[in-house]
Amino acid sequence: MTTSEHAPLGVLEEQVIVAVLRTASEPFGMNIRRELERVTGRSVAIGAVYATLDRLEAKGLLSSHRAVASGPSRRAFALTSVGARALTDTQAMRERLWQGVDVSRLAAMARA
Amino acid sequence: MSARSPSPPNPPPVAIALIGAALPREERDELLADLRAEHAERAATDGIAAADRWFWHQALRSAPAMLRWRWRRSLSSYESPANAYRPGGRMLKHWMSDARYALRRLRARPSYVIVAILTLALGIGGTAAVYGVARALLFDPLPYEREREIASFYFAGSWTEQEFLFLRGIYPHAALPGFRQVAAHRHADVTLREGDAPTRLIPGLTSSAELFDVLGARPFMGRTFRTGDDVQGAEPVAVISYGLWKEMGARASIVGSRLTLDGTPRTVIGVMPRGFWFPSPEVRVWIAKDLDPNGQNGSYTLVGRLAPGADMGAMAPYLERLTRTLDDRFDYPAEWDKTKDAKVTPIREELLGAMRPALIATFVAMGLILLMACANVAALMLGQVEARETELAVRSALGANQRRLTQQLVVEALLLGLGAGLAGALMAVAGFGVLARALPLGAWGESATFDWRMFAAALALSLAAVLLVVLVPAAALWRGDLKGALSRLRTGGIQGRGGRLERGLVVVEVALAMLIASGAALLVRSVSNLYAIDPGIETRGVAVIDAIASGALRESERMNTIEETIRALATIPGVTSAAAAMKIPLRGNGNNMGIEVPGRDNGEQPSTYFRVVTADYFKTLGITVTAGRTFDVSDRPDSAEIAVVVNQALVKKFFPGEDPLGKVVGGGYRLRQRIVGVVENVAEGDLTDEARPTRYFLGGQAPWWGTRATFALRAANDEDSERVLDEARKTINRVSPAMAIDATTTMARVFDTAVGPARPIMSLLTLLSTLALVLGAVGIYGVTAHFAARRKRDWAIRIALGLPAWQVVRNIVSQGTLLVTVGIVVGALGTLALGRLLASFLFGITPLDPVAFAGASVMLLAVGAISALIPARRAGRVAPASALREQ
Repeated sequence: MTTSEHAPLGVLEEQVIVAVLRTASEPFGMNIRRELERVTGRSVAIGAVYATLDRLEAKGLLSSHRAVASGPSRRAFALTSVGARALTDTQAMRERLWQGVDVSRLAAMARA
Repeated sequence: MSARSPSPPNPPPVAIALIGAALPREERDELLADLRAEHAERAATDGIAAADRWFWHQALRSAPAMLRWRWRRSLSSYESPANAYRPGGRMLKHWMSDARYALRRLRARPSYVIVAILTLALGIGGTAAVYGVARALLFDPLPYEREREIASFYFAGSWTEQEFLFLRGIYPHAALPGFRQVAAHRHADVTLREGDAPTRLIPGLTSSAELFDVLGARPFMGRTFRTGDDVQGAEPVAVISYGLWKEMGARASIVGSRLTLDGTPRTVIGVMPRGFWFPSPEVRVWIAKDLDPNGQNGSYTLVGRLAPGADMGAMAPYLERLTRTLDDRFDYPAEWDKTKDAKVTPIREELLGAMRPALIATFVAMGLILLMACANVAALMLGQVEARETELAVRSALGANQRRLTQQLVVEALLLGLGAGLAGALMAVAGFGVLARALPLGAWGESATFDWRMFAAALALSLAAVLLVVLVPAAALWRGDLKGALSRLRTGGIQGRGGRLERGLVVVEVALAMLIASGAALLVRSVSNLYAIDPGIETRGVAVIDAIASGALRESERMNTIEETIRALATIPGVTSAAAAMKIPLRGNGNNMGIEVPGRDNGEQPSTYFRVVTADYFKTLGITVTAGRTFDVSDRPDSAEIAVVVNQALVKKFFPGEDPLGKVVGGGYRLRQRIVGVVENVAEGDLTDEARPTRYFLGGQAPWWGTRATFALRAANDEDSERVLDEARKTINRVSPAMAIDATTTMARVFDTAVGPARPIMSLLTLLSTLALVLGAVGIYGVTAHFAARRKRDWAIRIALGLPAWQVVRNIVSQGTLLVTVGIVVGALGTLALGRLLASFLFGITPLDPVAFAGASVMLLAVGAISALIPARRAGRVAPASALREQ
C-alpha cells in the first residue's frame, strides 16, 4: 500500500485531526480549540483552528455536517477514511524517523 | 466557576467588527457565537477586563489565518457542503441568483408568463373551487353531532303523522326501541311573503319537535324546536337557515319576529348556523308541524339517533319489536306493509349517496382540465427551452452542468407556479360562487363556503403542477444534445425536426379535451332527448297545489269541497282555468285498475292506469283531445253509466282499427263505462315510461279515492304560475278550511324533477368543456406558433424561391389539424373506456353515440384549425429578407 499523499501532515493539521478524534461526542470548532489549549497548555487562535478545519475538509480528510447545539447550528466534524490514512501514515513516518534515537539520553541532555 | 450573570457582558465591538470583516460570511455566526460564549465564561471567572484582553488577543491572532482562509476559498472556490444552505452559502447563492435570473427572463417575456400563469391558474382555480364545493359533501363531517349514530328509518317518505304520533305515544320522547330519539320530517315547499315583495316559494321542511335534538344541532341565534312546538294549538314557529337570514337583511331582531309562511304568520324562533343543512342545503326553513293524531298525511321520513350501545348493523331485533307494535295497531295493505323489510340507513348514505356520481364526474372533469393546463404549460416551457437552446448550450460550454441548468428551470417553474397559485386562488375566490351554482349540486353549493383551506389547496396544487410540468423540459434537457445546438448555430440553424415531445403534449391535451367535450355532448344529447319527450301536457304556466282533505270531511262531502275549491280558484286573477286530480302526471305510477273489454276475453287480465279528475283537467294541463269530447255537464253523478275518456295507448291496445267512441268497457267500477273521448298519451307514470293505457273518470261520477287531491291552475302566462300560488293558498284556506295544503310547486318543477340529475351535470360539463376548448386552443396555438417560428428560416428560403404564401399557411394549418386529429382519436378511445361512468345518466343514446362523438370532434377540429390559422397566417406574411437577416 502506498503512503497517503497527505502524509506527513503539518503540525497544526495533525493536532487538529487528533483533537477532532478526542472530542468525538461534540466535535465542534470551539471544543476542538479548547481541547488543543488544554493539551498543549498554550493559547490557540480560533481563526487558525477554523481555517485548518476548513482546509482539511477541502482536502477530503475531514467531513462536516450541520448539527444543532445550543445557539446557532454548528458544523460537526468527523474523520474520513482518507483522513484516517493520512493520520496513521503520518504517525508511522514519525515512528520510523525516531527509530534508533535514544529518548532517555535525549531527556538527560535536556535536563543538563 | 461562579454563576453566570443574567446578561453576559458584550465583547469589545471593534474586535467583533474586525473578526466579522475577516471571516467568510457563512462562518461568521458560528465562530462569533463561540467566541462570545467563551468571553462570557472568562468574564465570569477572570473579570471583564481579562476577558476583553483575551478577545482582542484572539481577534488579532486569528485575523491573518482568517484572511488566508478567505483568500484560499476565493482561489479554490471550495465551500463546505455543510454550509451550502447557510446565508451566503453556495446553494442559497445559486438559488437566489437563479431566481433573479428567472425573474429577469420572465419579465422579458410577458406574453409567455401571462399565458402560462393564466392557463395554470384556470385549472388550479377551478380545481380548488370544485374542491371547496365538494369538500363539504365528500370529506367533511355532516353538520350533525356524532353523525355515525344517526340513521334514517326504513321506508323513507312513507310514514304518516298518525303512525308517528302513535309510536311517540307508546315511547315517551320518541325514544323508540334501539333509539335515543326519533323525529319525523318531510319536504314542504312553502310560500314566503315579506312586506310588499312578491310571494316566493322556498324549499322547506316540516318536522316534529325532536328534529334538532336528534341531529344534535345548535342554533346560531335564538333556539330550535322544543317539546310542545309540534302539537295542535301551539304557537306556529319556524327556524330559518343562515342563508335565508342573510338574504333577509341579517337582522338580529329576526328572532321573535313573524314571517308569513304558507299564509300563516309564524314566529321565527331561531337561525341555524352557517354550514348547517338538513336534509339538503336547498332547505331554508324548518317548520314545527302541528301534528294531527289522526293525520293520514303521509310521506314523512323518520330520522333517529341510535341509543348508546346500539349498533347500526344490528338493529334488527329492535326493528322487529317496532314492526310488531305497528302490526298490532294498523292494517297495512300489501304494497306498503311497514312490517316488512325494516332497516335503517346511515344518514350519510341516505343524504349524499345520490350525489356521488355527480361529484365524481365533476372531480374527474376538473382533474382532466388541470392536466390539460399542465400539458399546456409544459408545452410552453418546452418551447422556451428549445428557443433558448443556443443560450443553454453556451452556458453549458462555459461550465454549467445539467443539474444547474435544471435547477434554473425548476426555479423558473416555481416562480410561475407561485404566480399561478396566487392567481388561481383569486380565481377560485372569484369563480367560487359561479361554480357553486353551476355544479350539479344545485343548492348543495350553498353549504360550500370559501376558506383558507381552498387557498392552501390552490397553492399546493399549483406547486405540484409546476413540478410535474417541469419534468417535461427537464427531460428534454437531459436527453438533448446541447453541443449539437452550438454547431447548428454555425450552420444557420435550419431545423426541420424536433418538438416531438411538444407535439405529444398537444395530442394528450386534445385527447383530454375530447374526453370532456364528448362526455358533455353525450349528456347534452341525453338531456335533450329527455326534454324532447312529449309528456303530453303543457308544463309551462301551471301551478300545482297538493292538498289533503281533513279526516273530519266525510267522503260524500269531499267531492263537493273539491269542486267548490276549483270554482273559487278559477276566479283568482291571472288564472284561466283550474282543475283537480287524484294524481297528476310525472309523479310515478299511481293507481291501476282491471279493465274488461266486451268481446276481448282471451284469458289475460289486462289493467290500465285510472285517474279521477275534474271537468277542466285536460284543458288546464294542456292535454290534446284527439277524438270525441271531454267531460261536461251531461255527465251527471246519477247517470246509469259513467263517461270515460281514454288515451291513445288504450285505443291502440284494445280497439285497434276501430272507432272507440261510444264503446262500453267495464272493470273496477260496477257501472258501465262509455268512452266519450280520446286524448293524447300523457306521461302518467315516469317521464321515460312507454305510454300505457289510461282511463280518466270524472270525479263525482266515479268515487274520489283517498283524501289527497292535487289542484292545477293554468296561469295566463308562465311567470304568474308561482305568483298565483299564494293567492290560491288563501283561497283554499278560506273556501275549504277542511282541506290542508301539503305542498305547492309548479308543473315545470315537477317536470325538472322527473328529468332527474342529468340536466345539472350536463350544464356543468358544458361549462367545463368550454374551458377545455379554450385551453386546447391555447395549447394548439402555442405549439403551432412555435413550430412556425422554428422553421421561419426554412419558410423564408422557400418563399424567396417562389413558394406561394398560401402553401405555407396550408402546411402549418395541416400540421396543427393533424395533431388535433390524432388527439381526437385518442380521446375518443378514452371516452369509450370511460363512457360507463356516464351510462347511468344517459337516456335514448348509448355511450357510443356517433352524433355526440362527431359533434365533439367537429368542434375540436374547428377550434384546432382556427388556433393553428393565426400563427400560420403570420408565417405566410413573413418577409424572406428580414427572416434570413435575423440569424
